[in-house]
Amino acid sequence: MISEEQQDQAALYVLGLLEPHEAAAFESALNANAELRDIARELREAAGNVALTAPPRTPPASLKQRIMREIAMKTEGPAPVSMQRTPFGWIPWAIAAALAVFCGLLTLDRVRLERELAETRAADPLMQTTFFTLAPSAPAPADAKATVAWQPGRQSGVIRISKLPAPQPGKDYQLWAVDAEHKDPISAGVIRVDKNGVAQVRFKPVEKAEHVKAFAISLEREGGVPKKEGPILLVGTA
Amino acid sequence: MVEETAQQIADREMILRIGRGDQAAFSALYDRLSGPLYSLALRMLGDASDAQDLMQDVFLQIWSRAGTYDPEQSSVFSWSVLLTRSRAIDRLRARERRLRVVVGPASDVKPTEAANASIVESGADTVNKNDEAARVRTFLNNLPSEQREAIELAFFGHLTHQEIAERLGHPLGTVKARIRRGLLKLREQLRAEL
Repeated sequence: MISEEQQDQAALYVLGLLEPHEAAAFESALNANAELRDIARELREAAGNVALTAPPRTPPASLKQRIMREIAMKTEGPAPVSMQRTPFGWIPWAIAAALAVFCGLLTLDRVRLERELAETRAADPLMQTTFFTLAPSAPAPADAKATVAWQPGRQSGVIRISKLPAPQPGKDYQLWAVDAEHKDPISAGVIRVDKNGVAQVRFKPVEKAEHVKAFAISLEREGGVPKKEGPILLVGTA
Repeated sequence: MVEETAQQIADREMILRIGRGDQAAFSALYDRLSGPLYSLALRMLGDASDAQDLMQDVFLQIWSRAGTYDPEQSSVFSWSVLLTRSRAIDRLRARERRLRVVVGPASDVKPTEAANASIVESGADTVNKNDEAARVRTFLNNLPSEQREAIELAFFGHLTHQEIAERLGHPLGTVKARIRRGLLKLREQLRAEL
């Protein structure tokens, strides 16, 4: 009698979902139990059939030709090599050995480069920075613009605004982070421009924003609001 | 002893001939299996060029490993499907490793859209009752939704069982039981058709 636990293991085994040590233990049990082998086969057949639910597609005819060519080459095998010694018979072996060493060096180099890239990304703040260019929308002057340099790892950024005239009394500009994980834009604070319409400030959104898709500036009540109310003046994606 | 269909017997004979180096048998088996295996490869990898490379790997393995095929373990069809699936998972993992180096930490890497898309299609797909694939789709649709969902994620999603449990928000034991019950029920329905 096969327990439900063994059946569970069998289902995971045929789908390759067991950890290596679990799979090894299950294989020992399989070898010792014909009934368990039958269940594993039944489950394997069912799993195989699940593939038929993939949307049907036909491979290009050229694929079969490619595979058949390769099979033919494997069947024919390499051309017989003369065993007769020649004075330069060592040359092909030397070339093969040199190529093998060269390939090994290339592989090592690639691994090293990938590691360096990862280290550089971790160490260099610039490589962790995403830049957003904000363009004006209807109520803002056509030449107003802003650029945001955003560092998701630090959850902070710098915004530079130009040619955006100061708002009328009782109003403020407010910066918002539009994040994929949040329903509403996240406030990143009130921004005040100088008399030339310029501002350059560091900001930090009030909530964690890990998947920022865009930044926007809206015109709000003086002091800012917890949830965006006013019109968007500048908006932009990375 | 497991009953075999006429098609399974024919497949077994073909694989025996392939094991002896018969290229005509290989060509015939390719014609029979390439459609479903390519569809599976494309479904999992979501890229035609990758899927074709994978097919080449798989069929070369079928050629070289035909002699080791064990009919006691599975039909030729299931053997080939599970081989394709396993190689597709290897490729997806390699793809994720590359992405981790270029894009960032593992938590940012999500399974491909192709792997996430639901495999259950509209009722229109099941119109042709003689179509084997439509039949299996119908059987799969007949399973309780929680069993179907667990099987889909396990088969196409290249997730571990812990990840499947997390994704579905259910205890690991529940997920294991659902996969097992769903597969057994699917097999029962397929056998009833024999």
